[in-house]
Amino acid sequence: MKNKINVYLIEYAINAILRQKSKSFFIVFVFTLLTFLLTSVFFITNSIRYELDSTVDTLPQIIVQKIKAGRHYDIDVDAVDNILEIAGVSDAVARVWGYYYFANAGVNFSVVGIEQYENQYKNSFDKIASKFDLSEIDSKVSMVVGHGVKETMHDSYYKEYFNFIKPDGTLKRVNIAGVFEADTQLESNDVIVMSKDTIREIFDIDESKATDIVVKVANPEEIPMVVSKIKLIYPDTRIISSEDLKVSYQNIFDYKSGIFLALFIISLFTFFIIIYDKSSGLSSEEKREIGILKAIGWRVDDVLKEKFYESFIISFFAYTLGVGFSFAYVYIFQAPILQNIFVGYSQLKTSFELPFIFDLQTLFLVFFLSVPIYIAATIIPSWKVATLEADEVIR
Amino acid sequence: MILTPEVLAILILNAIFAFFGIIAFVLSVRIFLAWDLNSVSQSQYILEKQSFLTATIIKYIFVIKVPLFLFFIFTLDKISNVLTGAMCAAGVVDATVYGTYLFMLKILNIYIFAYWLVLHNEDIKHENQPYTKIKFGIFIVAFFLFISELILEGIMFSSIDIDKMVSCCGTLYSSSATSAISSIFAIDTDVLLYVFYGNFAFIILFYFLKQKYLFAISNLVFIISSIVSLIVFFGTYIYELPTHHCPFCFLQSDYYYVGYLIYALLFIGTFYGLVTGFVKNSKENIIKNYKISMLFNFLYVILLSLYPIVFYIKNGVWL
Repeated sequence: MKNKINVYLIEYAINAILRQKSKSFFIVFVFTLLTFLLTSVFFITNSIRYELDSTVDTLPQIIVQKIKAGRHYDIDVDAVDNILEIAGVSDAVARVWGYYYFANAGVNFSVVGIEQYENQYKNSFDKIASKFDLSEIDSKVSMVVGHGVKETMHDSYYKEYFNFIKPDGTLKRVNIAGVFEADTQLESNDVIVMSKDTIREIFDIDESKATDIVVKVANPEEIPMVVSKIKLIYPDTRIISSEDLKVSYQNIFDYKSGIFLALFIISLFTFFIIIYDKSSGLSSEEKREIGILKAIGWRVDDVLKEKFYESFIISFFAYTLGVGFSFAYVYIFQAPILQNIFVGYSQLKTSFELPFIFDLQTLFLVFFLSVPIYIAATIIPSWKVATLEADEVIR
Repeated sequence: MILTPEVLAILILNAIFAFFGIIAFVLSVRIFLAWDLNSVSQSQYILEKQSFLTATIIKYIFVIKVPLFLFFIFTLDKISNVLTGAMCAAGVVDATVYGTYLFMLKILNIYIFAYWLVLHNEDIKHENQPYTKIKFGIFIVAFFLFISELILEGIMFSSIDIDKMVSCCGTLYSSSATSAISSIFAIDTDVLLYVFYGNFAFIILFYFLKQKYLFAISNLVFIISSIVSLIVFFGTYIYELPTHHCPFCFLQSDYYYVGYLIYALLFIGTFYGLVTGFVKNSKENIIKNYKISMLFNFLYVILLSLYPIVFYIKNGVWL
């Protein structure tokens, strides 16, 4: 297996590429575009997944929801005491939260309730609890809103307060006390934070009920055990651990980029055909060239090797170019347009920075999807060229 | 069914391999049946041309196959995040009944394809191409193995059930497991180490005696003895854990991807060792093959032996 790399052949191959300017340019252009698209999609999914994974890390370790008739239902607040008694549980908090549909703008706000002197299950809520007083003073209540929420409210001329419509049709006026910042944009954009009592009033939730219960476990290794114990005490609950969320995120994004790739196969195939066609159609000049080469003593193997170098150089060059462009597009320009496929359309769409993740595996993946396919498309045309008869072409 | 981008990429490449493989197979059969170097007929002339195409296709498949094999292991490692219970590629391989066979088939095919290439290179050096018939005959056999590998791979990926619990490598590679693998733990570690180093001593001996058949055979045995000793003994020192025997985990970043180096050394060393016995070569080539084989096997033994020694120096005890 001593395939010594012949520098002169490489030089010849580069010159051959440069000689056929328009043809090479066309191939590089299309190839770069394809790898660029593909790499960008993978980069975007990787970044979003990273962002979500770090969001999941800030989420509670275990969430306990009550399920009734297959649907999510309010859970008894008393359950907190029973869960706290399980060994290994360091904290359990009953959460009151929900989605409020603001018909005027056609968006959903996530309304989250906190209590001032309770252990907060999120760091960002700690800041809010210490900074703002959300309890009821003189029958006036206030809330803290995320950036996106504030802008939406402003557009509807709610500048200092907001009127929530209660289930019985009456209004509940809540003052906007301030705007809150979280570690990631993803978790704060559509969020409204207010006291639990206010939320109970807006959504008409009974004092003894809560939306769900979050559980903190001191030792992460014990989470599966704690989950099974809770399940034993409350068989009617659905218990979600942060590990489950991570797995399902990976599934969702693998699925999304998988679908994209499946559609992409068609363009890859088209590309394959075009390349095949391009490299089969030889001009008489090229034929003469091969004829002369063979006449001066090139073997079939040499011509094949030269053609291989040619296709490898051109495809690898286009691949690097495409990957380079997509680095710039995704991480410097934050992937305009393409990002929407993955983030989704909504008025309160979270606008976030795509964090820079260098993933070697993505580069390999794109490499395997581009360079070998190009080379494969040139095998048969190169062979046809290489086995041309010298006397036939020169004559 | 599991359809991550990585799996799709592998399947796409497999489709291309299958397409070209079939072309090469048809041409190989034709060449194998009708090759006659002394003939001056038109058909022999065409066959000679076609042999170039076949060789190019096989070279292409091999060149892509080797990095793709590494990518395959990489992919299995990634899928293991999704499967409940799996911590590394071992869990994914074990998730379906096909996994183990696919893995063995893949390794076997790489050896066969590499062997084919060596034979081919030797063949085209001679004017009268003495091995042409044999090499295309070998490819006809290799083709069936190769196609069954592609089919098995497709079946394996489609039968992985994400919701099913699979075993972690910690339980698969332990003496309490009931699989065939666990029986190797019954071997006494001392005996195993004698066999391993003894085997290596034989390789050195035959290297100096230049006994090519014995050298090749001892290399063949070396593949088995080194993998078994890697699982039973050396692996525990890589992990610095007496209970962990997995041959896949050290391919991950936690162990600085050392597994890729280990397996590459073993493959190159034993492969060239086998070549000395199976391919008739010119004198200088044989010596070169001996040297390459010896060097890589030697590096392999040094690398693995260093793990326990360094561990002993650091901690003052054996595991």
